[in-house]
Amino acid sequence: MTEKIDAPETAPVLEALDLCKNYGQRRVLDGVSLAVRRGERLALMGPSGSGKTTLLNLIGGIDRPDGGNILLDDVRLDELDGAALARTRREKIGTVFQFFHLLPTLSVAENVELPLQLVGAGFAPRQARVAELLARVGLGGRSSSMPSELSGGEQQRVAIARALAHRPCLLLADEPTGNLDSANGANILELLRELTDADGPALVLVTHSEEAASICHRRLHLKDGRIVDPS
Amino acid sequence: MIAVLLSRFSLRHWRHTPWQNLLLVLILALGVGVFVSIRLANRAAVSSFQNFTGALVGESDWIVEAPVGSLPESDLGEIRAALGTRPVRIIPVVETTGGIPMAPGDHAELDRETMTLLGVDLVGIANLAQERGMTGPFAPRDGSFWDELKGPPRAWVGPALSGRRSLDLIVGDRRVSLPVAGVIPTAPGAPAPPPGLVILDLPQLQRLTGTPGRIDRIEFAVAPGPSITERRAELGRLLSTLGKGGERWRVRTPGARRETAEQMTQAFRLNLTVLSLIALLVGLYLIFQALDGAVVRRRTEIAVLRSLGVDASAIRAAWVVEAAALGLAGGALGLLIGWLGAQAAVRLVGRTVNALYFASTVRSAAFLPGEAWIALALAVGASVAAGWWPALEAASVPPAQVLVRAGAPAPGSRFWRSPLAAAAAIAFGLLLSRLPAVALAGGGRFPLAGYAAALAWIVGTGMLCAASLPLASRPFRRAGSGSAPLRVAMGHLLRPSGRHRLAAAAVVCAIGMSAGMAILVASFEHTVRAWVNQALQSDVYLYSAGSRSASAGSRIAPQTWRAIAGRAGVREAWVLSTYPLQLGEGQPTLLTGTDMAAVREHSSLPWAEAPQGEAVFDPDRDEGLALVSESFSERFGRHRGDSLVVPTPSGPRTLTVAGVFSDYGNERGSVMVERRHLARWMGDDSATHLSLFVLPGVNPDALRDLLRREYPGLQVFTNRTLREEILKVFRQTFSITYALEVIGILVAITGIALTMASVLIDRRDELTTLRALGFSRGEIALAASVEGLAVAAWSVACGLVLSVCLGWLLIHVINKQSFGWTLGFSLPWVQLAALAVAVSGAGWGLSYAVGTWGTRLPADQEE
Repeated sequence: MTEKIDAPETAPVLEALDLCKNYGQRRVLDGVSLAVRRGERLALMGPSGSGKTTLLNLIGGIDRPDGGNILLDDVRLDELDGAALARTRREKIGTVFQFFHLLPTLSVAENVELPLQLVGAGFAPRQARVAELLARVGLGGRSSSMPSELSGGEQQRVAIARALAHRPCLLLADEPTGNLDSANGANILELLRELTDADGPALVLVTHSEEAASICHRRLHLKDGRIVDPS
Repeated sequence: MIAVLLSRFSLRHWRHTPWQNLLLVLILALGVGVFVSIRLANRAAVSSFQNFTGALVGESDWIVEAPVGSLPESDLGEIRAALGTRPVRIIPVVETTGGIPMAPGDHAELDRETMTLLGVDLVGIANLAQERGMTGPFAPRDGSFWDELKGPPRAWVGPALSGRRSLDLIVGDRRVSLPVAGVIPTAPGAPAPPPGLVILDLPQLQRLTGTPGRIDRIEFAVAPGPSITERRAELGRLLSTLGKGGERWRVRTPGARRETAEQMTQAFRLNLTVLSLIALLVGLYLIFQALDGAVVRRRTEIAVLRSLGVDASAIRAAWVVEAAALGLAGGALGLLIGWLGAQAAVRLVGRTVNALYFASTVRSAAFLPGEAWIALALAVGASVAAGWWPALEAASVPPAQVLVRAGAPAPGSRFWRSPLAAAAAIAFGLLLSRLPAVALAGGGRFPLAGYAAALAWIVGTGMLCAASLPLASRPFRRAGSGSAPLRVAMGHLLRPSGRHRLAAAAVVCAIGMSAGMAILVASFEHTVRAWVNQALQSDVYLYSAGSRSASAGSRIAPQTWRAIAGRAGVREAWVLSTYPLQLGEGQPTLLTGTDMAAVREHSSLPWAEAPQGEAVFDPDRDEGLALVSESFSERFGRHRGDSLVVPTPSGPRTLTVAGVFSDYGNERGSVMVERRHLARWMGDDSATHLSLFVLPGVNPDALRDLLRREYPGLQVFTNRTLREEILKVFRQTFSITYALEVIGILVAITGIALTMASVLIDRRDELTTLRALGFSRGEIALAASVEGLAVAAWSVACGLVLSVCLGWLLIHVINKQSFGWTLGFSLPWVQLAALAVAVSGAGWGLSYAVGTWGTRLPADQEE
């Protein structure tokens, strides 16, 4: 049994209202609404095919809903064009993937630096931020290594550093421990918890794992594209 | 297992993307088509050199020809006497060409359409036809037939002209109108007469050509019956003895005569075949790219199959079979395209054969099953070769790696990335470039080692370019710190995948070959222009309109050229007289008579070995001296001071080579002597062409117009129009190389686009990551375009360096060994710069378009 964590009493950074999404004739999301406050960690749980990843893609701005609206930091994502969506992603959202998805031809430091370049940060602040984050994820000495030279756990730590580099207000994590052993998985969860505490971004964590969900303030269960009561 | 893989997977993919596969088949078909059309056109052009009498009465057993010029008719009596009562048919033949007269308003052209005029003894032919059971106008003889022979010249024509009542032709320097007597009959089983063939009775054609008492060859047919083989051999021996072992005449079978013609054009045809293989290479490269792209797209499927227990060899075999099926489909369609293309190419090839070797009247190319099998085998074999690497790649996909989608794209085999191996290939090429040409039967030479050197340099430079891509990108790495798209692009350029390297090597190859050929053509044109400027000093030039081929028999009669030379306004006339000549073992070359003093005075010939002293230019001292062309010198190994024996109707002449001059008119070479002496040796004072220098104040254009009106049988050019005409013929000769240049550029551009598409499909997870990080579609496309531009620009730079080396090789080794011509090296700067900008720009633009397309690829689905 995991310990209950209290959610911070802050304003919502993300609000989704009545989201619908169809793939062909099949309705994948059916009237999903949710709100996440700054500093809050929300676990999205549910069986395979329940719509978790689709919901994550919608609130991450890499897919568009067929109905409903999404408000991220006072910006309506569903009303933005492609370019504005890309700008919103680069400024407000960080993403951690199950398979890490580091760019294999860039070094560890270059991977972490990339989001900062996208927001137009200067060279010196970029270097300082990269050094700070790599130190925080315990990879200060591996900045010039290539991703292929790192273990899975190390790669995921770099991915977390990259996701947080530009200080997003929303961090999305899709099964971040799904490809790691239990020890590395626990380390990553601890890191995520640590980095999203206090003034950190809101975290939406898609997971099947009870252990992963235990670091979150709240859980939402999805089934057949709807939010359901787990009981 | 393989059948299951093919039916359940390969075939379904083909059905899923029919247009893509159809395009692939079409690309291969085009490559095969170019190859087939050149081969068929080559065969047709060579087969146009045929024994036309064979079309009338079937193949004869022996042919007797003078080594130079014609035979006196008196030889016939001697031969008949020597044959006694042997049952042998003797067929004397006069063969010449007749030009189609120009319509009013037509301008003079060097390569006009001609017809072959064959003068035969119709009475003899009629007897032979009756013996061989033929039907047709020659066989059933009655009183009218004899009357026809006594009357004015009448022509028998091919079926294509059967409706004509008369035929207007230029024969020699005269325009004649021949009534059409009928359609040429053929012997049973003999091929149909060629469309350009016209038959006349022998004395009638002799009268037309102004050569009474002269015959071009005598054919012999042994009467059928017992021990024919022995009788045939005995006849050959007897004729050889009478011909004094080649001094008076040469005795050959029709087959040997055809073989000589084939050998004459062998180097030319081999060179064309090599060029046509480039088109096939292009098709193969695109097949390779497409199959490689298919492996990338189907990688997950392959990984799943592997994880289900399908072994690597079955996957490899299925891909090879798929490649072979593509080859078969492309090859079959290519045969059709090739046959259609051959109908267009045959005139082009025939024109060159006509200009350089012998009169070619070919107008269409037949479909040859042998060539079809070669093309199919080549298409399938080459397609399998192109599919081999993708097949290996498919079979070597580690399932776990693909299924978890991790790891950087493979950088490619260590060997192909090794600068040392690249340097070794280039050094090997250098060594090959020093080797001599392969000697072909009949005196031709094929620069096999030269072509192998070109291949080694292409491979070596391609490898070097691919290996140095990271090195070339390094100076720009700082650009990555200024922009996120540039950082992503630089990351890929500093650690390029095997596909990047392959694309770079392919562009190097395409640019190297295209620009190398452009350098060759520019150098050739530059040299020919300079040569034309030096050689063409006269104001007006006259040729017989009857023909203008390398073996032309049409000549300007002495009374005609004398009348023109002596007319008002003409300051000086320069007469040139050329005869086909066979030297040594029947190797064909040319014997030319000219006014040597005029050569010195009016033409500054470019010398390969300049004469020492003035004797060769003095008619009183130059009998026994000769100038030879560079091609002759290369072919026959004769240099200044060497001697050669030239057979003439008045006996063999021993000549000393006084100098070697450059000449780009033909590759057979020529021996140039004082015309006055040659006329005496040959017993013939006619001319092949006439150059006029006009008096001050005389307008050459006005004189040309006047001469055209007075002599409708002559083609008249002014200095300017002849230069234009020579350059036009030059460009026509090289038109196939222009097409190949365009193909090269297209393959370079398409190759870059296909590579970027494969690379992006391979990296679609990265694309998803970039989008999740906040890259806009434009920024992702920008990153792709920078990658494409860098690969294109670096490959173009390396390709241009390669092209200069290939240009040198083509000019100084391959051309020199094939044709014996020395060319100056000329770089077409503007053309090369335009090529570099076009390919780099297209590489950039297409990569941007592919990058934009890539951003729309779903991350977790197939394309």
